[in-house]
Amino acid sequence: MAASSSSSILLLSLLISSLVCLSTPGSAFLMDGGHMTSSAPLEPHFTECISREQETFRCWWSAGSFQNLSSPGALRVFYLKKESPTSEWKECPEYIYSKRECFFDTNHTSIWITYCIQLRTQNNVTYFNEDDCFTVENIVRPDPPVALNWTLMNMSPSGLYYDVRVRWKPPPSADVTAGWMRVEYEVQFRGRNSTVWEALEVQGTTQQTIYGLRIGEEYEVRIRCRMMAFTKFGEFSDSVFIHVTEIPSKEITFPVTLALIFGIAGILILIVLIVISQHHRLMVILLPPIPAPKIKGIDPELLKKGKLDELNFILSGGGMGSLPSYAPDFYQDEPWVEFIEVDAEDADPGEKEDDQGSDTQRLLGLSQPVGQLTHIGCSHAISFPDDDSGRASCYDPDLPDQDALMLSAALLPGQPEEASLDVLERSPGPEIGERPIVHAQPQGPQTWVNTDFYAQVSDVMPSGGVVLSPGQQLRTQESTSATEEEMQKKGLENGDGEETEAKKEGKQKELQFQLLVVDPEGSGYTMESVARQISTPSSSSMPGEGYHTIPPQPIDTKPNQEAFLPPPTTTGEFQSPYIHPDSPQSQFLAPVSDYTVVQEVDCQHSLLLNPSPAPSPPPCLPQHPLKALPAMPVGYISPELLGNLSP
Amino acid sequence: MSMTGNYTILQGGVWALLLWPCLLTVSHPLDCKEEQGSISRCPTISQEKLLDRVIQHAEVIYRVSEESCTLFEEMFVPFPMRLQRNQAGYTCITKALPIPSSKSEIQQISDTWLLHSVLMLVQSWIEPLVYLQTTLDRYDDAPDLLLNKTKWVSEKLVSLEQGVVVLMKKMLDEGMLTTAYNEHGLVQYDVQPEMLESVLRDYMLLSCFKKDAHKMETFLKLLKCRQTDKYNCALY
Repeated sequence: MAASSSSSILLLSLLISSLVCLSTPGSAFLMDGGHMTSSAPLEPHFTECISREQETFRCWWSAGSFQNLSSPGALRVFYLKKESPTSEWKECPEYIYSKRECFFDTNHTSIWITYCIQLRTQNNVTYFNEDDCFTVENIVRPDPPVALNWTLMNMSPSGLYYDVRVRWKPPPSADVTAGWMRVEYEVQFRGRNSTVWEALEVQGTTQQTIYGLRIGEEYEVRIRCRMMAFTKFGEFSDSVFIHVTEIPSKEITFPVTLALIFGIAGILILIVLIVISQHHRLMVILLPPIPAPKIKGIDPELLKKGKLDELNFILSGGGMGSLPSYAPDFYQDEPWVEFIEVDAEDADPGEKEDDQGSDTQRLLGLSQPVGQLTHIGCSHAISFPDDDSGRASCYDPDLPDQDALMLSAALLPGQPEEASLDVLERSPGPEIGERPIVHAQPQGPQTWVNTDFYAQVSDVMPSGGVVLSPGQQLRTQESTSATEEEMQKKGLENGDGEETEAKKEGKQKELQFQLLVVDPEGSGYTMESVARQISTPSSSSMPGEGYHTIPPQPIDTKPNQEAFLPPPTTTGEFQSPYIHPDSPQSQFLAPVSDYTVVQEVDCQHSLLLNPSPAPSPPPCLPQHPLKALPAMPVGYISPELLGNLSP
Repeated sequence: MSMTGNYTILQGGVWALLLWPCLLTVSHPLDCKEEQGSISRCPTISQEKLLDRVIQHAEVIYRVSEESCTLFEEMFVPFPMRLQRNQAGYTCITKALPIPSSKSEIQQISDTWLLHSVLMLVQSWIEPLVYLQTTLDRYDDAPDLLLNKTKWVSEKLVSLEQGVVVLMKKMLDEGMLTTAYNEHGLVQYDVQPEMLESVLRDYMLLSCFKKDAHKMETFLKLLKCRQTDKYNCALY
């Protein structure tokens, strides 16, 4: 009952007070943004009551529009301390008229107890606003913190920004240490140019970090505080200025970058020097020379397409005569070039024999002076005056015959009459039977006017022997290309019919062919060869044949060919120069049952021994490149055409 | 003003969520009040640490209560009546308690009395807060944040009471105090008040509680100052 009545009284009072609130033009100082009605006269009111340390407080008033009351003493301050229902209004304990202030000292200040204050004139006219009641802890505005200073913390890696730690002490008036007040702080800063203050988060410790200040710009920092969990902030402290210019630490990083630059430059110079010093070696490794025909003493220009006449002229001894050994060096800048050395042999058979013998010996790997050519790897330059200096490194005499199938072919200028055959010697020694040897057939004086640099393989034996077809006898010109000689050397035996017979008698033992196949796709100087022994039967070469033919087995040899020959990709290349598809020579080769003439290489790089009758088209669509050849000497394919043949 | 209020509400929510486990750990050793002579399962705690924890409790309770009051004010109290809390001087339920109200007074009373005052306050507020929860539930649109806060505060108040009791035992070697300071049956559960009346009453309740929480916190901190540094803190 009492409760309900008290509550109703409370409600009533509140309603009345609210009405009073709305009607009175005066504004309670506790209201934020108090309502001000415009034209009504402003009666005396309190402007503010503030406590600085929660132990004392003071209140200020103003007379408003009532200027007659502005004189000191005209208005009096009364306060009510709502400690009990029987409390009374008391007058202000201490006046400070100059400031129109009423000061409550510690004896008159109680916390957590509601105070109400009012103004009274001398005539007891009361100006009271119900909203002017408060408890002291709610009006506390602490003094600003003191001893604000800053220290530089970090620089950004770019050197444009820095962080600053700001420290301060709590206001001395606030008894923070005793725990009487719990204070939190707010730091604000702004750049010199801006007018807007940036506020950091309110927190209770006496230090804070400001991040991201810009170098060279001046900043102003200030701080204020309030009671924790209350709303009213105190005054701002005095501003502290922060100004950081270029930091010398930047110079420390400068030498580091300089050292880095110098280091990198040094390394680059070192690399360049290495490249320059090892130029040649690197050139060989990185840019292997293209197997182009290189004949010593012959201008490489002549070896190009369409210049067979001049070349033949030179080779035939015209002009300056035979190629002198002191031919101008066209390949000065390519010391690694291997040449096919072509010598103009004189007609002295003895000499020839001597040469041959010397050649033979040379080819056999006997102690010989080093040739004129430089060899790289296991390359072989077949030339009459040439020595084979590097051969031994390539050939492993311990290899079994089956494994080390080395087909070595000597490119020989051959003549029908004087089939002189220099075959690349595989191993020294007269044991013909055991090892693949080079079979050198002494020949008569030979000029290589009418000789082939290549011998055409017209057929391949089932056992792997190669049938060489007479090529040069039917032609007057030849173009020589040392390409295949460099790259692929096939042991061909040129043998004049009679001479071979003679030789055969002389060497009734097995003649061994060696077909040396050099992989053109390699460095060009290494030998990838399939060597095998070819035992040749007794020759029954036809007169006019310059080559020792091998009994053909047309159908069976095909697989054998592929078995014996190098991989198909290179087969064509190897075979191609020896393929004479449409030359009339093939007709000269009367197909003996012992021999097989390789007529064609089809697109799958298999040798076609018995060409189908002319009208039948080859199985592959692309035209056989050889058919498109211009009038080329038999057995020779120029490098450009070689490119067409290869896959 | 609403912006700052929202911010404080969020802050308070974050505070409450963050401090949940903290206070759970803090409150754990305070549950050992019934074990006096037996082998205590609870770890013993030093007096300083206990006082620190009690102060932490009080500080957080005050902060949450302030946020609850602000929240309630913004939600339910019309603007013209918002300052009524300042007038609630003699309507607070604890007005009759003989509690010092100024710094000078506080500095003059003894430790015992200080602790007793705190205990009185705490014990006075336990039940009204429970009541407050029921009334708040009756509001249609009371935000969950407010409900959670008040619930949380009432629970923490209970643990605060326990802590103060243990502290008193440790510091003053006093026995278990009976809760002789229980409040009167101020609240009535049967009457269904009107909305505005209820709102105002609850508003007063929250304001008074906030004030008393601040009182508790201040008392405890002054007590701690006395424990550590008698010369600066006590006048006598």
